[in-house]
Amino acid sequence: MTRSFSTTALVAALLGLGTLGAAPAFAQDAVISAAKAAGTVGEQADGYLGIKGSVSGEVRAAVDALNIKRRAAYTDLAAKRGVTVQDMAAVTGCQTLAGRVSQGQIYRIGAGDWQTKGAGPIALPDYCAAAGK
Amino acid sequence: MRYGIWIGRMARAGSGLLLAGMAGGCIQVRAPEKPIEINLNVKIQQEVVVRLQQDAKDLIQNNPELFPE
Repeated sequence: MTRSFSTTALVAALLGLGTLGAAPAFAQDAVISAAKAAGTVGEQADGYLGIKGSVSGEVRAAVDALNIKRRAAYTDLAAKRGVTVQDMAAVTGCQTLAGRVSQGQIYRIGAGDWQTKGAGPIALPDYCAAAGK
Repeated sequence: MRYGIWIGRMARAGSGLLLAGMAGGCIQVRAPEKPIEINLNVKIQQEVVVRLQQDAKDLIQNNPELFPE
């Protein structure tokens, strides 16, 4: 009984650890989705998320954490393909701007101003055009 | 060894010329008025975009948590 209890406790603890690992990522995504809807966080052509104006520490932390994860993924792929991390990130940026920005959400190309997506597609940078072919 | 490589290259270059000559029977070649400028950087950039496009799509599809909407 004691043993089964301790086993249960161990499993519960492990599950707890797993949840601890997964919950922040989920919570972060929810924070970012809310910030995107609020127009304070948006996708950038460089493949990362950006912040418009001032936001809460929670939003900033979520954006920073996600960008670090993206950078790790870009770095991994770039190494496999023998390209720079910037190129890998920028090509992904073409995709996010083309397909993952909803109407009313903000986005930014280069060092330009933040823009709000209208009904039509976003005018992508010239180099993205090669991806459409 | 070195000769072998050179002969191979010359043979390839020769066959290339031959093909170009055969295919180009009807094409009139004029000297360009301006010197031809080839911007290699742009070409490489576009090739990179084309080559990485599928990787980028897969990355987004396989890691939706990295790209919340």
